[in-house]
Amino acid sequence: MTQPQDLPKDAAHRLEELEHGLFTSDLSVNEFLLVKEAGFHPLGFVMGSSIYHIGLQTRKWGESQELTKLTEAMYTARELAMNRMEEEATELGADGVVGVRLDVNYYEWGSDSAEFIAFGTAVKAENGQSYRNAQGKPFTSDLSGQDFWTLMQTGHVPQGLVMGTCVYHIAHRKLTQALGSVGQNVELPNFTQALYEARELAMTRMQDEAGQLNASGIVGVRLEEKSHQWGSHTIEFLALGTAVTKTTGEVTLPKPITIISLDN
Amino acid sequence: MTDIPAVDVRAEMLSGAKSLTVAAAPTKSRGVTSDLSIDEALLLHAAGWEPVDLVCGVSVVSVPMGVWNWGQGEITSAAAGHNAAVREASAELRNECVKVQGHGVVGVRVDVEVHPHHIDVELTGTAVRPVNQGAHPAVPASPFISDLSARDFTLLAGAGWMPVGLAFGASFVYAPRRSAGDTMRQKTQNIELTNFTEAMYAARESAMERMQQSALDVHGQGVVEVKVTEGPMHFARHAVGFTAWGTAVRLVADAHQFVQPQVILPLDDKIVAFEAQSLRGA
Amino acid sequence: MSDASADLPEAAVRRLDSAAFSSGLTVPDFAACLELGLQPLALVQGFCVMSWRWYGAGSAYMRGMNPYAPGGQVQGAYAETYRCPHGFVSAEHRMWGQNLEQTWVESAWAQGYGTSYNRMLEEAASLGAHGVIGVADRVAELADTGTVEFHFLGTAVKVMDGPPPLGGVPWTTYLAGQRLTKSIEAGFMPVAVVAAMASVRVWAYCMTEYLMEGSRGWGGPTSPQQVEQVSKAHMASRQLARKHVREQLAGDTLHGARIDVVKRELAQGDEVIDCTLRGNRMRRFKDFDVVPPPRPTVRLG
Repeated sequence: MTQPQDLPKDAAHRLEELEHGLFTSDLSVNEFLLVKEAGFHPLGFVMGSSIYHIGLQTRKWGESQELTKLTEAMYTARELAMNRMEEEATELGADGVVGVRLDVNYYEWGSDSAEFIAFGTAVKAENGQSYRNAQGKPFTSDLSGQDFWTLMQTGHVPQGLVMGTCVYHIAHRKLTQALGSVGQNVELPNFTQALYEARELAMTRMQDEAGQLNASGIVGVRLEEKSHQWGSHTIEFLALGTAVTKTTGEVTLPKPITIISLDN
Repeated sequence: MTDIPAVDVRAEMLSGAKSLTVAAAPTKSRGVTSDLSIDEALLLHAAGWEPVDLVCGVSVVSVPMGVWNWGQGEITSAAAGHNAAVREASAELRNECVKVQGHGVVGVRVDVEVHPHHIDVELTGTAVRPVNQGAHPAVPASPFISDLSARDFTLLAGAGWMPVGLAFGASFVYAPRRSAGDTMRQKTQNIELTNFTEAMYAARESAMERMQQSALDVHGQGVVEVKVTEGPMHFARHAVGFTAWGTAVRLVADAHQFVQPQVILPLDDKIVAFEAQSLRGA
Repeated sequence: MSDASADLPEAAVRRLDSAAFSSGLTVPDFAACLELGLQPLALVQGFCVMSWRWYGAGSAYMRGMNPYAPGGQVQGAYAETYRCPHGFVSAEHRMWGQNLEQTWVESAWAQGYGTSYNRMLEEAASLGAHGVIGVADRVAELADTGTVEFHFLGTAVKVMDGPPPLGGVPWTTYLAGQRLTKSIEAGFMPVAVVAAMASVRVWAYCMTEYLMEGSRGWGGPTSPQQVEQVSKAHMASRQLARKHVREQLAGDTLHGARIDVVKRELAQGDEVIDCTLRGNRMRRFKDFDVVPPPRPTVRLG
């Protein structure tokens, strides 16, 4: 078992208790049963957090561009939180973490700063086989207990929660352009190009992370768009998904029964 | 437990893909349109019905000037306007349904908007007909309209009941006035404002009563899924509106057929159906 | 579509070249997709940002459209004229009212929608995809820039051991997961997502203006009555949207349609009714198989 590198003392103490057989998890009973069904045992609730100051970057009013400094901040802060969560899981000897949630909190006392939190339930395989990923770390995934079971039935195992982000500033238009009543509704190729690039960058970065894990693919990709506290013209494009590798590729899901539920 | 016939979905997928390698034969057929989900279409089909066409009915009815102003008792012309708008919109919907030889409209989405000077009623649904009706099926002169989903329609039909029409009722009243003296006197008292209670009670009752009457008019034996809305009009706070609507139903089989449900213990925390928009995050 | 990737941005080309697949499908949908023999390739997207404004009566496109006189309509488009019964004409009061189809708005919408759709297809075709499933489209105003963004997202797939579609143009559908499986089982093959917008402008004749606004002293009716012109405009916008979509169906079925109506008042007695209709165009490739009726269930606990 590796020694935790930068975990607070309290965390180490809490985890020590968990090593004596008690488990805690935020899984529902249904999820717990399905995680067991998939051949895993929950070890403990793990988390990681980082409070990060996000630097300022000037934006050009009339230009669409990536704000690299902000991108970097959003990225590093999440990465830190995730790493700490992974360390907690490693400390427990886990094979992976399921049900990972990534949140961003803003506090009144910290202007321009935000807390990035990651939490989930550490699990370990019961057959003694290691399910750690290509980097020797526990896998992470935002899959629910049900999804985790279903994924295992398709002959895939999760490798890690992968993400890519891009903070982009969208140009303002000159008043005469925006308000003119003459002319017609036409495409604005510059805007199209800018949005295209922003989203593609986020997705490419996510894909690069999956590549580092030697994953064969990413499932459950979501593309979130948030303005956080930067005003409507600055948008963070965040792509998130679970990288998976194929083990057998054989789908062993039984044919579902069609039902019609009389419950409301 | 009945056995489910094993369907080779991969083979079906391949033959589906093959059907797109050739150009479609030119056809004069109109093609079916519907807002039903595949589940609903399959259910309908299993119950012997099929979708024909997406149909709409809209009516905008004027409300005479000044009816929302200060007055007393019921605002009869608002209720009459509401009634007319529902009637006209339903007539349009039935027209469209008859035009495409439908026997009824299921899953009707009901949008009612009350504005100071007009009431808009917008109905959208899918016209359906029994499967295998031959070339010239007998189309009822007055098709049924129902805001029940195709799923509910199927369940109901399986139990021997049929929808016969939308049942609608509305009533609008002025909130009663309190004299300045009463208001002052009651300021420190705990007291029921009986005239308020009575006015609201009566208005609610008459909306329901009108709904029941409209169900009886189409020979309904009952009304299911009644929706009730109530509250002050946003443009005239002293006027309060009540509406009630649902689907009037009638037993067409000799006796009610029991569904005899099977008891299940689901392991999902919530039913997850595919929602493409979830691609964009929560 | 031979040189499909020619105008894709560099970032997209690099992403699509990656060996790993990506998919926007949830795990259950991913499982259903594998079961159907569909191999997910990549999340694909397409965009078009358009400048968007509401055409005033004086704008270039409205030339010839005179709210004060009948005539000037676009050939073949829906138009109806309503004469004011009072015969009173002044600078504020017109003699005629009209319902008219704004074909130029419809075609701008179709251009934005079609362009972004085609760009998604280009991405998919450059991967050798056979289809795109789980399509999510969005038409939304972008920040406060006076622009509207048309955006398509979907998961490109290949039918394992299957033939490419005619002309290499991928088929598309809003469906994925068990819904798609059931459609295929029932004998419906997705062809394309289709959508159309119909825009009807209502220039109220004076009585309607009174009925709609209640602010003119014509001493109108004392009892409720149907406002024919506006009711008809509503019906027309819905009928036109269905007609535009039907023209793209070529006898195929439209499935899972969604109809959205937006009403916008531009000025007194000047209203726009925009109706958008979208759905899955599906082709019947075998006779409808009746699936066994599902079991009615009651949940325990």
